[in-house]
Amino acid sequence: MKTWSEATEVQPLVSKIMINSIQKGRLSHAYLFQGERGTGKSSLALLLAKTLFCEHKTGVEPCHECVMCKRIESGNHPDVHWIEPDGQSIKIAQIEELQKEFAYTGLESNQKVYIIKDADTLTVNAANRILKFLEEPSRETTAMMLTENSQSILPTIRSRCQMLDLRPLNPVHFQQQLIEEDIPKSNARLLSALTNNLHDAHELHQDESFVQARRLVIQLIEMFTRDSDDAYLFIHQKWIPFFKDRLEQEQALDLLLLAFRDLLYFHIDKKDSIVFFEQNDERLDQFILSFTEESMIYILQYILEAKRKLKQHVQPTLVMEQLTLQIQR
Amino acid sequence: MRFTIQRDKLITSVQDVMKAISSRTAIPILTGMKIEAKQHGITLTGSDSDISIESFIPTEKNGEIYVENIEEGSIVIHARYFPDIIRKLPENTVQIEVDEQLQVTIRSGKAEFSLNGQDADEYPLLPQVETDNSFQMPTDLLKYMIKQTVFAVSSMETRPILTGVKFTLEKGKLNFTATDSHRLASRDVPIDAGELEFSNVVVPGKSLNELNKILDDTEEMVEISVTENQILFKTEHLNFLSRLLDGNYPETSRLIPTQSKTTIFTKTKELIQAIDRAALLAKEDRNNVVRLTTLDNNMIEIMSNSPEIGHVTEEVPIQSMEGEELKISFSSKYVLEGLRAIHADEVKIEFTGAMRPFIIKPINGDEILQLILPVRTY
Repeated sequence: MKTWSEATEVQPLVSKIMINSIQKGRLSHAYLFQGERGTGKSSLALLLAKTLFCEHKTGVEPCHECVMCKRIESGNHPDVHWIEPDGQSIKIAQIEELQKEFAYTGLESNQKVYIIKDADTLTVNAANRILKFLEEPSRETTAMMLTENSQSILPTIRSRCQMLDLRPLNPVHFQQQLIEEDIPKSNARLLSALTNNLHDAHELHQDESFVQARRLVIQLIEMFTRDSDDAYLFIHQKWIPFFKDRLEQEQALDLLLLAFRDLLYFHIDKKDSIVFFEQNDERLDQFILSFTEESMIYILQYILEAKRKLKQHVQPTLVMEQLTLQIQR
Repeated sequence: MRFTIQRDKLITSVQDVMKAISSRTAIPILTGMKIEAKQHGITLTGSDSDISIESFIPTEKNGEIYVENIEEGSIVIHARYFPDIIRKLPENTVQIEVDEQLQVTIRSGKAEFSLNGQDADEYPLLPQVETDNSFQMPTDLLKYMIKQTVFAVSSMETRPILTGVKFTLEKGKLNFTATDSHRLASRDVPIDAGELEFSNVVVPGKSLNELNKILDDTEEMVEISVTENQILFKTEHLNFLSRLLDGNYPETSRLIPTQSKTTIFTKTKELIQAIDRAALLAKEDRNNVVRLTTLDNNMIEIMSNSPEIGHVTEEVPIQSMEGEELKISFSSKYVLEGLRAIHADEVKIEFTGAMRPFIIKPINGDEILQLILPVRTY
């Protein structure tokens, strides 16, 4: 998404709103871009920044060639400030730094832009600190906040921004893209369900441990269907030692979730939506005997619950043990 | 780009420019130093986005050749390695050459360095300051004015505008004012600036401290230009640019009392020493409070009391006193800083009651003024 016309194809509604406000000179002082990963939040922010600073615009389109555009692209423009999480969250010191910066006049122009990436990771103190700053912008300031989850942003911040919801990417479109890049169809389906990012998809595709992870998930479901006590042992002997860090654990749960969702789809005869298994996998017939429709809905809920607990830093071993017990019941 | 330069000239320039470069900066390109070669000389630029310093090396001066073989161009070189490399090169001349892949080759004698450069287009554009918007003043006078005011700027970030010194030029008078809302320092100087006038130009105190360090104590003229968002101090070969503080500086002229109830005339040195002694027992966390009481026959008493440590009194002779008797408490730190900044042998202190601000001025003259708020004690 390098130009507004490209943006219009991917995000028609949001782009139209933006283009209209640029043309009428009615840009808001603060925007909140909300959308899933890969929906183009950063590209839109970059595009808007360029539009604000570019000296050789044609209509609303920035030229991408002048020193202004080039420097915004490379992060060297002195009046465009990017705030990114420092580790897990955006700390109050970063916001203080930003505010100090804004006490000064612009280095090259009177315009200033600041872009806060992953704005949902603002710590409570940092978020409160930025409130007044958002509300009373100094002259010609444009704020852009990017988030995947606007609900975890303080309502007081949300109310001060113009919210723009980016449309989720079309998974079929992405699948097609992956298949074109020589990824086998079965894999492409699963990858498109896991990520929206082409680069990440490729990495997963080439990752040995991803294949292994997939196998472990199937084995675990087999354990459940055999209705033995082995599942608990399996968790301790295979699962926990294999999925070490939090990202891996979360991804394992994602896979498990997709697998169970497939079972449910199989149950209700929506075979087209199956992503984790092959559509004509014989194992599905076998697995399905062990779960009723109702129990599967519960299982999906348990898995979501487990994911949430992982996010809240609950001990991963305990989370998996509990989940196993819940599913077996 | 290519040129050959006298190494000692380059070292001096690099050292000046390095003062503006900080290793931790939000904009990656600012960790570098920009070098620009033109037919008439070489310009080095360093910046931390708050202040920027440009140093110019002319091709020749008084018949002495500084730079030769110039091929025009510009480049940004990483400032962490460049100064040390130049300092340790073996010969007196240095040849610097840049190729199309932004590779910088530094040669001196048999030593050859090859560094990766960055595109000079990425570097912030410093404003081209028009010269008709400028005025001149002697360097030592500027430094003097800075020293007399900059100590009073606020160190708290709660009101960012107060961390700067306000410059005003009106009716041929240049005024610097700084305040942290407990005390205020102000200095006037008559300047021949023609028609030029400006107000509400607030220069960050930090930048002025830096400027004070860079300028030499000479009587040479420094040219000052003000633009909308930057101020430029220009000496012969050095340009010092600072960003301004954004916002409106509070109106301070009405804070200064016009009449006084008590006036004390005294020798500065004796008063400074007495307050300094009394301040030994004054406590930091209680505003360093010292009390001044007027006595008969041209004496005042300076007193400080900390119940858990002890107390001190001292009678100080003064030259004369006019008006009512007075007991007033104030922060010794503020008064000492104010008295020291005045640089006069004798001062006049004008009080308007124990709860009102008081003014310290030199005995003959209005051009410098220190206003201090007293401390309420029981």
